[in-house]
Amino acid sequence: MATSDEHGRGRVRSAAVAPANWTERLSEQGFAYVLLVPTLLLVSTMALWPLVSTFEMSLRADALFSAEYVGEFVAFENYAELLTGQRNAILGSPFLDFSQPFQSALTVTLIYVAIAVTLETVIGFGQALVLDQSFRGRRWVRVAILIPWAVPIAIQGLIFWLFFQPGIGVGTDVMQSLGVFSANPLINTTDTLIIVIVADVWKTSAFMALLILAGLQSVDRSLYDVAKVAGASKSQQFRYITFPLVLPALLVALLFRTIQSMRVYGIIETTGGCSTLPSLTCMVVSTFRSGRYATSAAVAFITAGIVALVALVYIVKFADLEVGA
Amino acid sequence: MASQTVEEGESDDGPIAQRAQEAIRNPGDAYQFLFYVVTAFFLVTTLFPFYWLLVLALTPGDRMTDIGLLPNGFNPASFVEMFQRLPFHVYMFNSIVIALTTTVIVLLVASFAGYAFGRLQFRGKTALLLVLLAISYFPPAAFIIPLFQFFTGNVEILTLPAVGTIESPNWFNTPGAMVTPFSALFLPLSIFILTTFYSQIPDGLEDAARVEGATRIGALFRVIIPLSAPGVATAGVLTFIGVYNEFFISFLMTDGQAQNWAPIVWGVVNYQGQYQAFYNLMAAASIVGVLPVVILVVMAQERIVSGLTAGALKE
Repeated sequence: MATSDEHGRGRVRSAAVAPANWTERLSEQGFAYVLLVPTLLLVSTMALWPLVSTFEMSLRADALFSAEYVGEFVAFENYAELLTGQRNAILGSPFLDFSQPFQSALTVTLIYVAIAVTLETVIGFGQALVLDQSFRGRRWVRVAILIPWAVPIAIQGLIFWLFFQPGIGVGTDVMQSLGVFSANPLINTTDTLIIVIVADVWKTSAFMALLILAGLQSVDRSLYDVAKVAGASKSQQFRYITFPLVLPALLVALLFRTIQSMRVYGIIETTGGCSTLPSLTCMVVSTFRSGRYATSAAVAFITAGIVALVALVYIVKFADLEVGA
Repeated sequence: MASQTVEEGESDDGPIAQRAQEAIRNPGDAYQFLFYVVTAFFLVTTLFPFYWLLVLALTPGDRMTDIGLLPNGFNPASFVEMFQRLPFHVYMFNSIVIALTTTVIVLLVASFAGYAFGRLQFRGKTALLLVLLAISYFPPAAFIIPLFQFFTGNVEILTLPAVGTIESPNWFNTPGAMVTPFSALFLPLSIFILTTFYSQIPDGLEDAARVEGATRIGALFRVIIPLSAPGVATAGVLTFIGVYNEFFISFLMTDGQAQNWAPIVWGVVNYQGQYQAFYNLMAAASIVGVLPVVILVVMAQERIVSGLTAGALKE
């Protein structure tokens, strides 16, 4: 019994040793490539191939009544028809319509991103300034600020769905007494947009705060002493020392948050629903569910295109800063 | 002497004016006061929703109207009933299994990649890092249609003349359909974190192990990874939280049945769809569903903070 066990273990050991010994004979470059095989395998099958395949599908026609997923090659017809509003009838809500910005997916997404990210930046900056002080219980304040960030999107949605449920949630009463919300905010487009923005600010300001805090803590404290001696007020210290030095970290945080909030879907699905407030990803899902894979792929790729554009703007801006500094 | 007369002169004013005078004379105190107000504001806004959930969960189901800041009654039984209406514990279990499996795979694969990027020189290094960075930028919507086809067994991988066609696995309703895409999508962040940590281990330590007869792989597992334990923990915690929180792919890769590996997303969606009126149970489910990540945040906040900032600012 003991010997067979030892034998088995020996075999396991030699099975592990054989490839380890084989790597000894590789050059440094060869060894690096071997180590990267699992990464390349995962990334190429789960990310690169799907990306290329999505693009390829977006250039074809929908094939609703066929065994195939998509129909014949139509070049950029899907994109053109989406952007000119010819697909609105099958989408349920318009894709791009500046005359009703709160109903069309592209404008809803952009408005959401702009307002949410702005508010997160302001609140995140405030939180970072608080966390930058040293005081008793700082650790616990940081935990409290960080907890919403760790809440699953589905539960975040459930919390705000309950919070703004008429007759149940406190939120609706408060907002209605201020005259902002209608009778049932969760079926009203603008009310739902506000709810979704509040939910997002609640959850993700902490992320902004942490990145800005990292920027704050890299500021040389002696600069403030110099400023004090020179007679600078607190607001001058902020404008001329804190803000410029934090700006690079702030830009990175902005880039991340903009890219992430472009994907908004789960929080909408679990509060007012995509029929009340359509985002770009909402439309990917609804067309996907109705079997219009080509249209779905086109919407997904437009989303990706906007994300790429936004990333480019930030990266150029960031490069400017680096050169300037 | 002069200062005393000033103080006497002020005593005619009201308390607010006195405070204002004091603030003007000594701005430090005013900032201190403002600091406490702002801190209290942040604490209340982040934590109030959880308190209110508790109020809602403890209110008995037949007294759900006009709930104020205190529960209308005391009914802790909703924390039991929430598991009976829907098997919420099964959804949570599924989520935790999927998140843990993904974390193990990501840590292993990212350790190999982190070693290569952090400690070895090879051609195409920068290009590969840029590809990984770009992938983490793309929205999951840009991947989902082909991935769905793939994991429902509808993609022909290759055709062999003798064997026939090999098709992709039908993993819909199994953890594989979520764990595999998550492993790829959460991989870049862990690679960036581990690359930083692994590159900081002095070469001498690794050389010493090699002289002692350790293989390259042996040195990675016995020297580099143990010495980078904080980095590995950071990458692990962030991956776990990321997967546990994920909505999009979790939502689309199962049919929503608890026995079909549907994660916590579907517990929430099914509660909203089938048990609309059981607000107290939903509130209880929210509290229980959040517990695993809250415990992680309390225990590992230093790791999370350093990981988020290092991971993001590095990129």
